[in-house]
Amino acid sequence: MLSFQSSKNVLSLTEDLLVRIYELLAAESDRKSFRLVCREFRRIDTLTRRHLRVIRIEFLPILLRHWAWGLKSLVLSRATGLRFSGLEMLARACPCLESVDVSYCCGFGDREAAALSSAVGLRELNMDKCLQLTDVGLAKIAVGCSKLEKLSLKWCMEMTDLGIDLLCKKCVDLKYLDVSYLKVTNESLHSIASLLKLEVLGLMACPLIDDVGLQFIERGCPSLKVIDVSRCEGVSSSGLIFVVRGHRNLLELNAGYCLSELSTALLHQMKNLNHLEVIRIDGARISETSFQVISANCKSLVEIGLSKCLGVTNMGIMRLVSACINLRVLNLTCCHSITDAAISAIAYSCRSLVCLKVESCNMITEKGLCQLGSFCLLLEEIDLTDCCGVNDKGLEYLSRCSELSCLKLGLCTNISNKGLSYIGFNCLKIHELDLYRCTGIGDDGLEALSNGCKKLRKLNLSYCNEVSDRGLGYIGRLEELSDLEMRALHKITGVGLEAVAVGCKRLADLDMKHCEKVGDSGFWALAYYSKNLRQINLSYCGISDMALCMVMGNLSRLQEAKLVHLSNCTVEGVELALRACCVRIKKVKLFAPLRFMLSSEILEILHARGCIIRWD
Amino acid sequence: MDLKERVCDELQKEVPKGASSTNFNTQHQQKWEDPSSTLDYSTRIEPPFQAFNQTCQTQSLLLCNNQIKVPMQDGSINDLLQQASKIQDWDPSAMLNNLSFLEQKIHQLQDLVYLIIAQKGQVLGRPDELLVQQQQLVTADLTSIIIQLISTAGSLLSSVKQTLSAATTSLGQCGEFGGVVFPSSAQRLNDGVQPQNAGGSKVSEPPNSIDITSNNGNEQNNHIVEEHELKDEEDAEEGENLLPGTYEILQLEKEEILAPHTHFCTICGKGFKRDANLRMHMRGHGDKYKTPGALAKPTKESSSEPTIIKRYSCPYAGCKRNKDHKKFQPLKTILCVKNHYKRTHCDKSYICSRCNTKKFSVIADLKTHEKHCGKDKWLCSCGTTFSRKDKLFGHITLFQGHTPAIPSDEIKVAPAGTSDGATNKVGSVNFNLSSYVSSESEVQSSSMDIKGGIDDAVGYFSPLSFDTCNFGGFHEFPRPPFDDSESSFAFLLSRSCNYSQKSGEE
Repeated sequence: MLSFQSSKNVLSLTEDLLVRIYELLAAESDRKSFRLVCREFRRIDTLTRRHLRVIRIEFLPILLRHWAWGLKSLVLSRATGLRFSGLEMLARACPCLESVDVSYCCGFGDREAAALSSAVGLRELNMDKCLQLTDVGLAKIAVGCSKLEKLSLKWCMEMTDLGIDLLCKKCVDLKYLDVSYLKVTNESLHSIASLLKLEVLGLMACPLIDDVGLQFIERGCPSLKVIDVSRCEGVSSSGLIFVVRGHRNLLELNAGYCLSELSTALLHQMKNLNHLEVIRIDGARISETSFQVISANCKSLVEIGLSKCLGVTNMGIMRLVSACINLRVLNLTCCHSITDAAISAIAYSCRSLVCLKVESCNMITEKGLCQLGSFCLLLEEIDLTDCCGVNDKGLEYLSRCSELSCLKLGLCTNISNKGLSYIGFNCLKIHELDLYRCTGIGDDGLEALSNGCKKLRKLNLSYCNEVSDRGLGYIGRLEELSDLEMRALHKITGVGLEAVAVGCKRLADLDMKHCEKVGDSGFWALAYYSKNLRQINLSYCGISDMALCMVMGNLSRLQEAKLVHLSNCTVEGVELALRACCVRIKKVKLFAPLRFMLSSEILEILHARGCIIRWD
Repeated sequence: MDLKERVCDELQKEVPKGASSTNFNTQHQQKWEDPSSTLDYSTRIEPPFQAFNQTCQTQSLLLCNNQIKVPMQDGSINDLLQQASKIQDWDPSAMLNNLSFLEQKIHQLQDLVYLIIAQKGQVLGRPDELLVQQQQLVTADLTSIIIQLISTAGSLLSSVKQTLSAATTSLGQCGEFGGVVFPSSAQRLNDGVQPQNAGGSKVSEPPNSIDITSNNGNEQNNHIVEEHELKDEEDAEEGENLLPGTYEILQLEKEEILAPHTHFCTICGKGFKRDANLRMHMRGHGDKYKTPGALAKPTKESSSEPTIIKRYSCPYAGCKRNKDHKKFQPLKTILCVKNHYKRTHCDKSYICSRCNTKKFSVIADLKTHEKHCGKDKWLCSCGTTFSRKDKLFGHITLFQGHTPAIPSDEIKVAPAGTSDGATNKVGSVNFNLSSYVSSESEVQSSSMDIKGGIDDAVGYFSPLSFDTCNFGGFHEFPRPPFDDSESSFAFLLSRSCNYSQKSGEE
């Protein structure tokens, strides 16, 4: 290395230049390659790293040793065994910490919150689904981290109005607050209304809030830009009228599944929302004239969600897109009366369209896709699930959208390997592909896919019966793959699974229900290689006792397992496997009769460790 | 409060011996049945009593001045009684019996005091304890004498209209008053305080609130009260809606307030908290107390004059409840006075036996607390406990930097800085600490360590203590396969197998 440094090469660059180069690397995988070049490069990474996402928590201490001092952002999502003493040390070791994500950490409770609250500089905190967290923990955070600007409390089911009230009084700088799914009442909204800087408020599926609470919001939260009241049972259009009336500068209004109808009164108020960029009114009845009102007034609309809306017609969509040419996201899921005419109008008007969801719009054919492929070249995401009209020709047109990253083709039985090869050849940025029940797809299609779509992270191959071990071999080339669903692939064996396990190092979620032919060799490989596996579904597989124990015991990140109908497993085998993973497993699905056959001891251990058992 | 009990005991012992007991009874009866006067004693100022003032004062002065001068009182008492006799028809022979009994008692006391003086001369280096005991004995005797005296006098005042309860109350209070006030003032006087001043201020005020003692210094007191009423008119709007002139301010002395009993048996002197209990007690003194009329709750007769509302002042100078305070807020009842005085101006002598931290001066408060003690699970970092979560959160909202503490049955979260890596490591060692509890802080830390230890043992990922991790020697690149300490099935995989493991990071 030293000899290289003397000569003119990349290492002769000064440190700050290297840092600048490093900062230009956007993708995580590129950064990884960078720091694996040499020690010097790794040092650059160490110096500049401000963000850390920890997948295997046991490595946290050693990682922190490298990066603790400048670390600003830390993602500890889904970490098991995260305890207060560790968090306390973490908070002290990282004085610059500004953002922490502890979402889905089962062990995160009040004491952990108390420990974390010593990180006084914290600005962003995500505590989604920290089920043990109560008002007390929130109070600790609220008092300790008074600079908090962004806080998410989704699914923290123990939270009550008291905690929210205290939070609103102590953290007056809050800009983002998400209390979705909480059992908070209008009292909380009263407190929230006093937050002068609040811009984003998430109230999704809060069953106890209603129009009276939204009246507080009308008078408060002067900076409010985004509000989400979707799935709030108590909210009606009059509540939304309050919100709209009080906040003329609203940018985003999410009212999905809480309106039965887009009433004229609400529409009348919405005329004033000239800056509105996003509106979602999923599930509401909407008339053609409403579209005209929206398009006439909300010219800056970027996203509209009309999923399952009744009354969405070609004419309505045409009126909408005639003025709203900036539309980038359009959700028309289950708007069955949409045809190619509407798609053509969309494609023609909205050239910057990024996302289009037309699931279950059966009347769309390759003509519509042709228009999309011709005009919407920025398209990144398209959902064509259950659109029977999509065929290979359509995919060929669609493949012209080279920015495509998410493609859903579930239940499109008319596509074949040929169609997929267009995608694999042109759409190199795809990271999510859904081929659920695309029975026309086989190994050749996957070969084309694996050649082109190297960025693929999520793949659904369920019920694609033609896929065999060879196809899985191609899948194994997808190093980025983290999520693989391959239910009922009757042709695959242990060889295919081994190829996947060896190749897809980042595999975190594997569903191989009903893959009956896979033998123990495949599972052994899984146990050896797939150290990042988090969820696994082995139901109806022919796994043996020993392999099950291996898989369950050796995969140290495993949190959820579905183990129903394991024909080759004995009760003792399952018991042993459960013992092997009991310290980390959070959710397990078992065959119901096992309830009485497993020892009560193991069931108690699982219960005591907070593992949820579902009996099937 | 021992003193009081002793007084009572003594009374119980001594009084039955005296021949006066029967007489008392008759007089008592008389008093009850007398319907003549309808006036409230405490409020009226009657000319006939003016004469008493002097005598009373002299009496009190004498008492205060020196305990040994008691015999001189006889004259004044006689005077007093004679004066009283003018008002009321009474049985002179019974009174004589009483007086002779009193005389006996006083002589006994005199002897005792002589003895004390003699002892004092002999033993100088005696511990003060004995002296105190003797003082207490004298005090007790004196108290019983005064009670006797007053009850004798009181039996004359059958015109007391109010009720039996009021009468007994006042009697009792008077007794208490005598029992405690006098000795204390006497002690003070020994230090050379001007007897007149002390006697005046000490003695004259309390009777104010008491029916019978109003005989003693009513006028003087009313004087004081009037003065204050005038004064109070300036800042009248405070407190209740009562206008300053419309109610009378009464001020009990500290000792009266602290007296445990307010109702005393006129026969045996036993004290009671409730008049009903006293009435029940009275049944034991003869059949005449068993009549329904005697047992019935005395009803307040509506007087022809409108009753003046009474309000109370706290004797503590400077207290907002003291009538001299600028923004004086009167107390409504005697009970209020008692509770207020104890809560605000007394030591909190009742300690909760469960938590050993909460202290109270009113026993009822202690009992209320004990009902909830331990259930106060809402604890603030400042140590304050709350029975309700919203109260805690209100408190936290109010005070900067206060946070809710995690309940004590779990471990207490140590504030950052007090616990370091070491505490986690030595957790298991500290287990025995809990057996010898030496200091609170130690206990706390030990409990935390224990918990930490458990957590370490059970926790799948040992808390991020850097040193306990086994990765010390390794760096990022050469990571041994399956080195995870927690993978319980690692043994199934032989180390010799050829799989090389990549880093799990990312």
